[in-house]
Amino acid sequence: MKDLRVLFRWLGGALALAGLAAILAGLARREVVGLFSGDLALGVLGWGAFVELLVSFGVAGLYDTVHAAIVSTLPKVKSSGLENLEIWAGLGLWVVGWGLLSQGFTGPEAAASPPSAAVGTPLHPRIAQYRDFHWGTLAAYGLGFLLAEVAMLGLFVLLVGKGAQAGAEGGGLGHVTAFLIAFGLGLLLAALGGFLGAAHSGRLSTPEATIAILYFGLPVPIVLSLMTQVGWLMLHVGVHLREVAYLSAQLGENRPELGYWLVFGALALALVLGLNLGFVATSSGRLDLKLTYESFIANRHVQVFRPRLLLSIFAVLILGIVPPLVLYLIVMAAEQVVERTRIRHLGLKDPLLASEALHALKKRGQTPTAMMTTLSVGGVGVGVMALIIVLSVMSGFELDLQSKILGTNSHGVVLKYGDAMPEWREVMDKIAPVKGLAGQTPFVLNEVMISSDGNISGSMIKGIDPESVGTVTDLPKYLKRDGLDCPSCGKLEWLTTPEKIVRARLTPMGEPMLDEKGGAAVDWPKPERKSGLEDDPLIEAPKPDATKVLPGILLGKELALSLKVQVGDRVNVVSPLGGELGPQGPMPKSRPFKVAGIFYSGMYEYDSKFVYIDLHQAMDFFNLKGPTGLELKFEDVDNARRLTRQIYDLLEGYPYRTRDWGEMNKNLFAALRLEKLVMGIILSVIVIVAAGLIVATVIMLVLEKRKEIAVLKALGVSDGGVVKIFLTEGLQIGIAGGLLGLVAGLGWCLFIEKVGIKLDPQVYYIPALPVRIEAFQTVLSVVVAVLITFLASIYPALEASQVEPVEGLKSE
Amino acid sequence: MTPFLELKDVHKSYFLHGKRIDVLRGVSLTIEKGELVSLIGSSGSGKSTFLHVMGTLDAAASGTLRFEGRDVFAMNDAELAELRNQTFGFVFQSHFLLPEFTAAENVAMPGLIRRQDRKACDLRARELLDRVGLLARADHRPGELSGGESQRVALARALMLKPALLLADEPTGNLDPATGEGIHQLLREVNRDLGVTAVVVTHNETLARLMPRRLRISEGRVVTAEG
Ligand SMILES: Nc1ncnc2c1ncn2[C@@H]1O[C@H](COP(=O)(O)OP(=O)(O)OP(=O)(O)O)[C@@H](O)[C@H]1O
Ligand SMILES: [Mg+2]
Repeated sequence: MKDLRVLFRWLGGALALAGLAAILAGLARREVVGLFSGDLALGVLGWGAFVELLVSFGVAGLYDTVHAAIVSTLPKVKSSGLENLEIWAGLGLWVVGWGLLSQGFTGPEAAASPPSAAVGTPLHPRIAQYRDFHWGTLAAYGLGFLLAEVAMLGLFVLLVGKGAQAGAEGGGLGHVTAFLIAFGLGLLLAALGGFLGAAHSGRLSTPEATIAILYFGLPVPIVLSLMTQVGWLMLHVGVHLREVAYLSAQLGENRPELGYWLVFGALALALVLGLNLGFVATSSGRLDLKLTYESFIANRHVQVFRPRLLLSIFAVLILGIVPPLVLYLIVMAAEQVVERTRIRHLGLKDPLLASEALHALKKRGQTPTAMMTTLSVGGVGVGVMALIIVLSVMSGFELDLQSKILGTNSHGVVLKYGDAMPEWREVMDKIAPVKGLAGQTPFVLNEVMISSDGNISGSMIKGIDPESVGTVTDLPKYLKRDGLDCPSCGKLEWLTTPEKIVRARLTPMGEPMLDEKGGAAVDWPKPERKSGLEDDPLIEAPKPDATKVLPGILLGKELALSLKVQVGDRVNVVSPLGGELGPQGPMPKSRPFKVAGIFYSGMYEYDSKFVYIDLHQAMDFFNLKGPTGLELKFEDVDNARRLTRQIYDLLEGYPYRTRDWGEMNKNLFAALRLEKLVMGIILSVIVIVAAGLIVATVIMLVLEKRKEIAVLKALGVSDGGVVKIFLTEGLQIGIAGGLLGLVAGLGWCLFIEKVGIKLDPQVYYIPALPVRIEAFQTVLSVVVAVLITFLASIYPALEASQVEPVEGLKSE
Repeated sequence: MTPFLELKDVHKSYFLHGKRIDVLRGVSLTIEKGELVSLIGSSGSGKSTFLHVMGTLDAAASGTLRFEGRDVFAMNDAELAELRNQTFGFVFQSHFLLPEFTAAENVAMPGLIRRQDRKACDLRARELLDRVGLLARADHRPGELSGGESQRVALARALMLKPALLLADEPTGNLDPATGEGIHQLLREVNRDLGVTAVVVTHNETLARLMPRRLRISEGRVVTAEG
């Protein structure tokens, strides 16, 4: 009998293996196996680093040759009904193999020792129940998970589809909103499945959960991952899930698989969370979420919420480790001295009281678990603080960038297919009544070269209407320094009245000098003219009429620096393709301008690339019948997308088109957002490390309290109650750390905001570190940290609940 | 009429280093409501094991245990927890108080676990401590109590929820004869006044002789003690 079992085991194993090989061979022939060798699949399994190492030794080529060799040795698939034969056969073999294997293990094992006196008596029911596999639980877990995935996909596609139709009215659901709603539903369903499953079996049922995730959960992300590679999948499934792939690609940095697996991981986490909640809530026989004695006991065990402890951790978070430690040591030493002196004096009168005081003084030492608790709280605090600070600073940069972009750029533009928009006045009148529109101005945009005596540079030239440009961009503001006019920065009006341009004085260094006195006075002392400089003709430039006043031009500060010009100087604008048709194609066209002003936006790209001239000058220079388009400004930037759409509809579409600022700078903001996400994930690692500390702490607590757990169980605490006690302990550490981190992080952010951390403006183009505290991401940081600590304490808490009452009662 | 407590053919063995130690070899026993039972036996004869199995703290290998007709061995974790909390009271061979809590809190713990009001529990705990003569020590931690005092606190804790069945494993082990006698006196009072059924393991034959029913455990079986 025993030999047969061994035979079953070996045979079953071999069959299952052969089946697997057949499946793999079948898949290899369809060239899908290569997909699984990607570093993603292996990275997930923990072999990523190893594979990278192999690849770096040039094994990648080896793999390809081996793969090609295998594929070539396999007979080519004939297009017959049998093409899936080996896959189906392999599947069959695999199942049969596992069946045999299970037979090899389920038969009665030969007795190891002689029969006991208990032979023939009924088995203890609890032992009989012990191996029970709950099919209902498996169903709840598996179907819950599958339903979560499918419902999420379905709802997302539905919402996005709706959104696309409803988009015309401007009220459609964006991808992100739709995803969030669908994701929420998915999480809820997965958690619900876990909850019901665990409540059904009354235990955690890890085998069921594993099977559910592997067999019910995995196929969906696998199919999604294969979708783009396998033709018929794409044809039958992919077309319906285009939007999913699109969003997932955004989530996963252009690798949709990453997005799928991230979501899959989140769903699995939700299942685990729900399953734990289900177990904890119902293990005492009914739904019981109260935490009365549990938190009473937990409080005594960890004692996190002591002012002294919280204060010292807070001090460490705010001031770093060394200063509080020094302070602590000094205070401790002082306390000791004072206390001992007091005791000595007391001892002269009452030895009894003195010995008692001494005893109390010595007892103040800390236990190892108390130290660990402190460390864990501190760790979580550091993680949350770092998250909050870094995310806030990044938000600050983003806001800064946004305001700079919006300062120089408009919130939206109206363009026209073809070249110009001669009817711009009518268009402006037409869209003027749009609610929420704050300003509009026509513009011409083109690329030119700008040359001065000193240098030459490629630039974007923009023809503007000085009257209305201020309603859309901050250009007038950028022409002032600290809100005041100055001689070295010129004036916007000089663009149309170049005859009024006053030359700026020169500092000895040749740099434009700022007027320290400020003052809006127009009658600056006339600098003595260095005769000849202005009238010097430039090379290749047509000699200007001496009496004719040159038109004005505004340059950015960086550009002016590199061209070595200042207000009143002359620059030459060259349009490479603007001139008449010559024998070798279009001739360059050039025209001299006089610098009417130098603006400073604080954004290097603009200050070094953009120049402004009067709209009519620009139309004349480029031979245009009208402006390129209109720039728009809205009262609320966040409405830009909606309002540009509305204007588009108002203009009845073609030949007009509109774009908003988000679309114009899409890549920039996408990159920023991605960077923030990556930073968030990286910083969460700190929290995860802290969570490791919490695991260690709670495990230590469990080990330390084993006997007490046994006693508590003897007093009638259920398994769920024990789990709740230790979960509460972990959660207390997490909440204390999270709150401390929150306060410290906000404190740091306020410090950075109010006091400021200076940055080298040459490098960062911004004087001080910007911060912007965003409520959502701040709260999210804390919630994620607390959630992670909660998850971290699940395992030790379960360990604690496994302690048998009798076990603790015997160890003396 | 269903008996109060009924054990039938209960087996329990330990396996250690490949050797089997058969501690309980088919124990059958009925205890009626209101009985006061003493259990004696030589050291290592399995008294504690028997008490633990009876109190559901340890799982037997086979056999049945019926409490008021209910099959205790078939109960799930939640039902067992409730049974231990509300129906059984334990006093262990060594006291096993919770070190972080004061004597009063230790005594009140079963009530708290039953989610009774904290105030009411505290009052009752102090009443019980008064009864075992330890009201003055109510706010001491276990580390600040003597062994005998701890044992008395443990007894008070076992009585907190007026258990139907009190299982005491050598409650007088650490006590001087006079105090030990006091504890037994208390047990008899509890049995008489509150109608608590009690099984008391003891080494002290003289004290055991004062109990109405005497059992002896030997060779894995429980028999009625003679004398
Ligand atoms: N976990 C265990 N593993 C192996 N053997 C054990 C275990 N626990 C107890 N035993 C053995 O079982 C027997 C009965 O132990 P038990 O504690 O019930 O004795 P007891 O009658 O209470 O003794 P005492 O009067 O000294 O308390 C002893 O021989 C002991 O060595
Ligand atoms: Mg014993």
